[in-house]
Amino acid sequence: MRVVIAEDAAVLREGLSRLLADRGHEVCAAVESGEALLAAVAEQEPDVVIADIRMPPTHTDEGLLAALDIRRDYPFVGVLLFSQYIETRYTARLLKSGAGGVGYLLKDRVANVAEFVSALERVAAGGTALDPEVIAQLLRRPDPGLASLTPREREVLGLMAEGRSNAGIAAALVLSGGAVEKHIASIFSKLALEPQGADNRRVLAVLRYLEP
Amino acid sequence: MMDRAWRMTVEVFRAPFTRRAWRELAYCTLGAVTGAAGFVVVVAILVPALIISASIVGTVLGLLMVVFALRFARLLGELHRRLSRMVGGERISAPPLQSAAGLLGRLDRRLRDREGWRAVGYAEVKLPVAIVQWYAVVATGIGLMDCSYPLVWLLFRNHPAGTRLSPLQAVVPVPYGHLAISTWPGTFAAALIGAASVLAGVWLARGITVVDRRLVRALLGPSRVSELERTRALVVEDSAMTLRRVERDLHDGAQVRLAAIALNLGMAQEKTRDTTVLDLLHAAQTGVAEALADLRRIARGIHPPVLDAGLADALASLAAASPVPVTVAVDLPARPSPAIEGIAYFCVAELLTNAIKHSAASRIEIKSYTERMWLLLRVTDDGRGGAEITGGDGLAGLRERASTVDGSLRLSSPPGGPTVVEVELPMSVYGGDR
Repeated sequence: MRVVIAEDAAVLREGLSRLLADRGHEVCAAVESGEALLAAVAEQEPDVVIADIRMPPTHTDEGLLAALDIRRDYPFVGVLLFSQYIETRYTARLLKSGAGGVGYLLKDRVANVAEFVSALERVAAGGTALDPEVIAQLLRRPDPGLASLTPREREVLGLMAEGRSNAGIAAALVLSGGAVEKHIASIFSKLALEPQGADNRRVLAVLRYLEP
Repeated sequence: MMDRAWRMTVEVFRAPFTRRAWRELAYCTLGAVTGAAGFVVVVAILVPALIISASIVGTVLGLLMVVFALRFARLLGELHRRLSRMVGGERISAPPLQSAAGLLGRLDRRLRDREGWRAVGYAEVKLPVAIVQWYAVVATGIGLMDCSYPLVWLLFRNHPAGTRLSPLQAVVPVPYGHLAISTWPGTFAAALIGAASVLAGVWLARGITVVDRRLVRALLGPSRVSELERTRALVVEDSAMTLRRVERDLHDGAQVRLAAIALNLGMAQEKTRDTTVLDLLHAAQTGVAEALADLRRIARGIHPPVLDAGLADALASLAAASPVPVTVAVDLPARPSPAIEGIAYFCVAELLTNAIKHSAASRIEIKSYTERMWLLLRVTDDGRGGAEITGGDGLAGLRERASTVDGSLRLSSPPGGPTVVEVELPMSVYGGDR
């Protein structure tokens, strides 16, 4: 993997570089601001970016803004937000940018190197890596989108949450495969999930279903 | 003792020859004119205004005239503040003029303009002061004229003996104070009276200037209350800044160091197969993770990072963390000041916690909007109601917190619900606006 790191704390920037180099990944740039990150991505076109959220100059959400820019301009570059805290609003904005190739992890997670690197690899490959904390917050989120689903669509969503495939859902509800696909497409559109990587949309739809 | 009396005597007689005396006389001349004129104008606007506004038809016109009179008195006050600097008065800053949104809001704010009314007060007490100032100037002027008589006599009355001339009139600035002088030696008496008159005028000018300066300071300077409001605003905003800085220091300091330790422990774990070492590393990692979680919780209590993104995001974030469905509607055309945002956030957080813990609500609604430069927060829940503000509980604490910035908290919670709590805060700490 070719990785760009944006982190304003030198000790973490260097630590991450060493950790990734140890595992045989190439760190092609390690920068300390959102602006420098955008420049590095334009120059290096890496597989994945690790971005701290709070960076100079304002120390508020530079990393998130840069991440959203990267998602828009370089959709093939995975973005892993790497922060001291999980903020639901940031999660929502990140996920709205498209479900695939994004991640949001607490900095604490580097403690488990193997898991951290595999999460990074997943994001680079177009998957998602959400912190358990993110999932916990998403599960609590009330959503008006769910209210708009028909009873049949809720059934389909429930089966998706159980982990069934389209064929499995069709069998359980005695429907044709095409009908199931139509329901799923309708669920995605009602929950406003952008058409990007069907697997991730499934995950997100299920996450919403799991809310209280 | 004798020495001191002598020095004082010298001081008394020397006064007319000092620059200070003439500055004070000039000040009295200008002050007498502006003071009397200002009094007349203020009274001429204010009295009819109050009479008109007592009638139903004329209320609006009358109140507008009152507002005009207040503005005029403020301008007059500015003139008098500047004049008083001429005689060594300290530089007094003009009291701030408060603004408000909406026609009625502005009218209301203008009518309750405490500093404006104090300026009106100054314009009123300035009349007797102006009279005394004028008297001091006149006494000095007449005295000077009287002093010149021996010279005038020599220059213009040097006629041959036996010529009949009308007597020179020496004026003494007291009632019936006329003195007819027909001989040259007599003019020395006039000159003596003149000198006394100048002395009296100069010292009267000095005395009334001291009085006037005190009045300017007391009525045209910022009042104690507005001083306190200003410094309180500084303190409240400053403490908000401090909290934010503390949170940032934690974020860039201790939290980074701990994260780096977690990373190094993780890498160390990869390098060893020794189970004892692995156990120790694992224990260390657990400790670091707990410390980081603690710090996160503390930082959130000091200054939640999401507040940087504004109240709308911050309230939505609170709602998202609630196990009870919460709807949030935020309509704020402008951002409140950081201190107000902080108070608003922690108020809503506490109200949400209350609703979830005590009221068994199934739905909670947060509304935030502005009304006449005030930030309103309304938290409604459909729970069992019956909440009360008692000493020492959360609601009383919130009410205290709101009152530190002149905000207020209202509770409506009939048994059976719904519970509505309304918090009203100024958009910034200085009395509703700045």
